[in-house]
Amino acid sequence: MALLAQLKQLNIKHACMLILQVSAFCGFAWLCQILATYIHSPIPGSVIGLALLLALLSLKLIPERSVELAATWLIGELLLFFIPPVVAVIKYQALLEHFGAILITTMLAASTCVLLGTAFAVDKLFKFEHKKRLQRQTAEAPEHSLQTIRATEKVLSLPTPASNSTQKTPKERQAA
Amino acid sequence: MNHSALGLFCLAITLAGYFASKALYRRQRRVWLAPIIVAPVAILITVVSLKIDISDYFSYTHYLAAMLAPATIAFALPIYRERKLIKQYPLTLSLGVICGLLLGLASSWLLTKLTNLPPELSHSLMVRSVSTPFAIEATSSFGGIPELTAMLVLLTGVIGMLICEPLFKVAHIQSSIAKGVALGASAHGAGAAKANEIGRQEGVIASLTMIFTGIAMVLTAPVFAMLVN
Repeated sequence: MALLAQLKQLNIKHACMLILQVSAFCGFAWLCQILATYIHSPIPGSVIGLALLLALLSLKLIPERSVELAATWLIGELLLFFIPPVVAVIKYQALLEHFGAILITTMLAASTCVLLGTAFAVDKLFKFEHKKRLQRQTAEAPEHSLQTIRATEKVLSLPTPASNSTQKTPKERQAA
Repeated sequence: MNHSALGLFCLAITLAGYFASKALYRRQRRVWLAPIIVAPVAILITVVSLKIDISDYFSYTHYLAAMLAPATIAFALPIYRERKLIKQYPLTLSLGVICGLLLGLASSWLLTKLTNLPPELSHSLMVRSVSTPFAIEATSSFGGIPELTAMLVLLTGVIGMLICEPLFKVAHIQSSIAKGVALGASAHGAGAAKANEIGRQEGVIASLTMIFTGIAMVLTAPVFAMLVN
């Protein structure tokens, strides 16, 4: 019972903090919007706000803790915020019925291009950038760097001798 | 029912549909039950079958859509948190963002040229590969319509989420950074959610790429719109 009451109190506190922080975010977004229209900025207010908040965080003018609750919630529930515009497409029902099939085929092809193109390019460059990092680190501090390299390789799941050996272990165990 | 009550009812439907679809996905983890598919479809069907007028639907739900601006600002936090990762691989991330942005624009442009879609659709298609809040800001430069853009962005996300795994397998993409960047650049939020299921590292990289691609799209849209027209 006591535990339940405690939990409830915690939840209420959490909810209050969340509402407070989200309102602060809304107010800030509104101010940025006004600023953007006032200075006739070609950059929308929300992106100005993003840059300002990032600057405030980087300069340690506001602590990370004071925005993290609302930021996590806003990003987590992003889908909810764009459902209304999506539902509004019923205004264009006729258009979509007519071109729906072409549209989806087109988008499938286009998305395949973007996905594969980006993945290939990044894969190639990443191997290069990673190698350069390795060389630089080994030149600086051979003993210490080997551990960090192993760690990054593990995290980024690169096909390296180190990660290969860990992958083999279960198979070897089975064989044994 | 008067208009104000109907508006409130629509807000209730939207919230209920959204949270129910999230609860459903928590119980049944199947790709086609993801909230990004179930929630919009369920709400759309309800609104259409009840013959609700779109202006009534929007009378209260536009407050939800207005939350896209604060949500955009909230993206500052993940950038700040992952500054170390950004400093570690600046080249790879920028290449991913540039590649995703250019390929997204070029593929949309080329395919609309080949299929002669009506201008409302083809203009709204241009920004489809970036996250919704950024896409809605950027679409006006190309002469796109916000509602159509929102739907095309959502479709792109769903498509990317569904085709990524077979494609990665066929193309032998193994490094997690390449998977993350590709998902974030091509399928924005849905891609980032998918990447998060593949692994934490992939998820973080996908979110970062998605945010940077979105910002880059908003900043460069006027220039590209001039080139296209």
